[in-house]
Amino acid sequence: MIPGEFQYFAPTTVDEAVSLLQQHGEDAKLLGGGHSLLPAMKLRLTTPAVLIDVTKISDIKGVSVNGSVTVGGGATYHAVASNDAVRSACGVLADCVAQIGDTQVRNRGTIGGSLAHADPAADLPAVALALGATITAQGPGGARTINADDMFVEMLTTALEPNEIITSVSFPRLGAGAGAAYEKMRQPASRYAIVGVAAYVKLGSDGNVAEARVAVTGAGPKATRQDATEAAITGTNGDDAAIAAATDKAGEDMDYLGDIHASEEYRRAMVKVYTKRALAKAIAQARG
Amino acid sequence: MTALIGESLPRPDALGKVTGAANYPADLVRAGMLHLKVVFAGRAHARITAIDTAAALAYPGVVAVLTAADVPYNAFGLIDHDQPVLCADTVRFQGDKVALVVAESKRAAAAAARLVQVSYEDLPIVTDARAAMQPGAPLVHVARGSNVLFSIPIRKGDVVQAFAEADIVIEDEFSTSWQEHAFLQPEAGIAYVDEQGRVVVETAGQWLHEDRKQIAAMLGLPEDQVVIRYAAIGGAFGGREDLSIQHVLALAAWRLRKPVALVWNREESMIGHHKRHPITVRCKWGARRDGTITAVQAELLADGGAYASTSQEVTKVAAIFANGAYNVANVWVDAYAVYTNNVPSGAFRGFGAPQAQFASEIMVTRLAHALGIDPIELRRKNLYREGDIEATQRPLPPGVSVRECMEAVVTELRTRRIGDGGQGREQSHATSHLRRGIGLACGIKNVGYSFGYPEQATATVELYGEQAIERAIVRVGAADVGQGTHLAMRQIAAATLGLAPEQLTLITDDSSQAPNAGSASASRLTLMAGRAVHEAAKAALQQWQDEERPAIATVQFRPPATTALAPVTGEGTPNYCYGYVAQAVEVEVNTLTGQVQVLSIISAHDVGRAINRQQVEGQIEGCLAQALGYALLEHFQVRDGRVLTPHFSTYLLPTALDMPTEIVPIILELADPNGPFGARGMSEMALVPLAPAIASAIHDATGAWVTQQPMTPERVLAAIHAQTQAPRAGSTE
Repeated sequence: MIPGEFQYFAPTTVDEAVSLLQQHGEDAKLLGGGHSLLPAMKLRLTTPAVLIDVTKISDIKGVSVNGSVTVGGGATYHAVASNDAVRSACGVLADCVAQIGDTQVRNRGTIGGSLAHADPAADLPAVALALGATITAQGPGGARTINADDMFVEMLTTALEPNEIITSVSFPRLGAGAGAAYEKMRQPASRYAIVGVAAYVKLGSDGNVAEARVAVTGAGPKATRQDATEAAITGTNGDDAAIAAATDKAGEDMDYLGDIHASEEYRRAMVKVYTKRALAKAIAQARG
Repeated sequence: MTALIGESLPRPDALGKVTGAANYPADLVRAGMLHLKVVFAGRAHARITAIDTAAALAYPGVVAVLTAADVPYNAFGLIDHDQPVLCADTVRFQGDKVALVVAESKRAAAAAARLVQVSYEDLPIVTDARAAMQPGAPLVHVARGSNVLFSIPIRKGDVVQAFAEADIVIEDEFSTSWQEHAFLQPEAGIAYVDEQGRVVVETAGQWLHEDRKQIAAMLGLPEDQVVIRYAAIGGAFGGREDLSIQHVLALAAWRLRKPVALVWNREESMIGHHKRHPITVRCKWGARRDGTITAVQAELLADGGAYASTSQEVTKVAAIFANGAYNVANVWVDAYAVYTNNVPSGAFRGFGAPQAQFASEIMVTRLAHALGIDPIELRRKNLYREGDIEATQRPLPPGVSVRECMEAVVTELRTRRIGDGGQGREQSHATSHLRRGIGLACGIKNVGYSFGYPEQATATVELYGEQAIERAIVRVGAADVGQGTHLAMRQIAAATLGLAPEQLTLITDDSSQAPNAGSASASRLTLMAGRAVHEAAKAALQQWQDEERPAIATVQFRPPATTALAPVTGEGTPNYCYGYVAQAVEVEVNTLTGQVQVLSIISAHDVGRAINRQQVEGQIEGCLAQALGYALLEHFQVRDGRVLTPHFSTYLLPTALDMPTEIVPIILELADPNGPFGARGMSEMALVPLAPAIASAIHDATGAWVTQQPMTPERVLAAIHAQTQAPRAGSTE
């Protein structure tokens, strides 16, 4: 349980961090809250020669709410969960991060760290997908944006380049007629999602569901949109029967992973249970 | 002063344990001591072809690397000496010890342990108990020629005729899994050679004198050259009955003549010590229409793991409880323990009784349903009465109180109207996925050693003063593993002597200073050590009255004799005392997820006489937490001999949130003929019926029977789905 030796840098600007990444290439890892990286290092599953601690970069720690909710890549879960403006503009985001891990985890874990690590059981990727978040990353060539839909490539693999750092993530404001919810079955000790489902709906002027996005985490190798469920609920009046019909289609066409916490079969069943809960809650919220 | 009996005196050790002042074994480590690191096999079955210690020895700070060649007598075990201290040629499970690295720092020992080069030639593994019994299965101990570690038949009456004449017969298969003791304090200790040349081990354990015996045998020393001392013990539950680290500490200190320390982390503890036996029970029960249970046939198959430990005793205990606490005229049991390449199984609170009665209690409730008789009424008709004949064809020891326990539970259940939701409940069942149910179960478990194993406890009481007794010393080698036995001994002695408890000095934790009172196991210390203390105090008091100064009396107490079970019929007197228990639970089941929340537990115990009422309630409540974990959460998973759940992040223990908001302990005091002031043992009993009570409550809520322990959400959901899709296979219900 003792990590290998490494060099440690704590840059105070994004440019500095990017140039350190450039300099050390594949040997370097960014260190945020460290909850995923340090255990892996202690088990020697990874032995990076260089750690670049990004928690001293004040530019990426901000949380602001204007036309949208913009969260710095280095902002902690606690900074987001405790922000009243975030809670009123995008309650699902605050709710989601407020139940990640425990107090210690929320005080150190970062938004950018979670998305960049892309743990298959992390909560935030599902919410980012359902809300259609936009991730801003900076590399040697400058900044670029990545849609959440393009972000999660495979287990623990994202669209980020090795020399890029997430500087901010933008989530939509949930205005009138919109609702979103995140529901999960948590592993009791780690609080990771055995299955987590995020749902977003927007009602049209006729009161029917005009737009829906549903994403599942925890059940398979990566967080995954539920196209069939989204299609099934869209255009309906969002009543119990419509939710049940849409729920039936959840998790039908995705990859599953079983482990010591739950089998693939159980996760498949839970995707439906939690999709139903998340959809019902999102629709109720959208109706006000 | 007999007013002291039953009084909830506060624990003298409580403040120190809460504030951190108490010295647990890991607190005994001092600067300058050497540190020991165990090199584990890390594989389930292999031949050792070479051990190269050169690189480890060359590591800075390393003092020695010990291997099998350094062990004078390289075999140990509580019953069979079939376990090597350090493996010489074969490793048989992941936690087998291959070498010991001793260094000047913990860090150096850990680093050098990784440099010990062991060359292995992997051998075929056998990790399924039933597969291990098949001809041609890989042999765990080649010299034995078979993986069957132990087997015992029990034959009473004529089951063939009884089944033929039964109005209803049901059968099913039940499985239970390993359980980890998960004591708060992982194994730790120090050892050194004292100024008298004795090897001293200061650690935690459950029986000073047994540890001493095994370590003396290993070192080839007379027993008085070995001293065992126990520091504060952070829980045991049977998990400290087998030697885990005590012997290797002694070996290193003896070889090196220097103080040596060892503190295991949680993972080492999880992999390194034995577990509760997984037992598969295939059983068949028959009854007449009037509700008389006439026949029980059962096959019990226990996974003993790589070494014998106490497997044969656990298997016998499970076998004699195949018919639970019920008077059944015809019983046929075949019980087996087999070697596998899994972690060894051994003692754990309940010692075979919970596994057997998970099956038997569920079967009794199902028989009741099949007969259309209230499960409580069926139990009233069949539960043991005074003088009934056990499956081993001998009368039960006097003091049979399981009926009183059940009636106390039934009364409490009705008073509280638990589960009495009437129409509201029916309505909620029609509309909600949250369904409530109640379940009831009874239990029986021996107090003290069984099957002719020598049972005794010895205590010495010394009285000092001139005219009046000013102070007393009580010597009794009884381990306080957290259950509060030292305070119980103090209360018994003080009450007998007519002294205030603080006038007594207790000497309990040094094998050279306190006589042998036997182990802290089988719920036996209050009865056995307590009786020895009681008798020694009476004898010392008599001497005092005869003007002896000081008055010193040593008494050995022996309870009524038990006998070995006859090899063909299982006939014999297995036990001299039983503890009895009954429980009712209310649960809420989420039928969509399979999650079960226990809402309420009523647990009634005949404790004979509560010596310290608060401690008795503490034992009931603590045991219920362990029982709830066993029933619902604690899923010790092993694949190909490798433990997949070596941390508390993966092996789930119950927390405060998992426990019901309501626990009602009911304490009955129906005196035991042998216990001091009538006390009988009670510390294990709550673990026996809880899992089947919860299974019955889940059935009451959902109509589904779960037959696998632990009843995880996944298994509960699968049972609900299976029940809604098809009738149960293998049942004539």
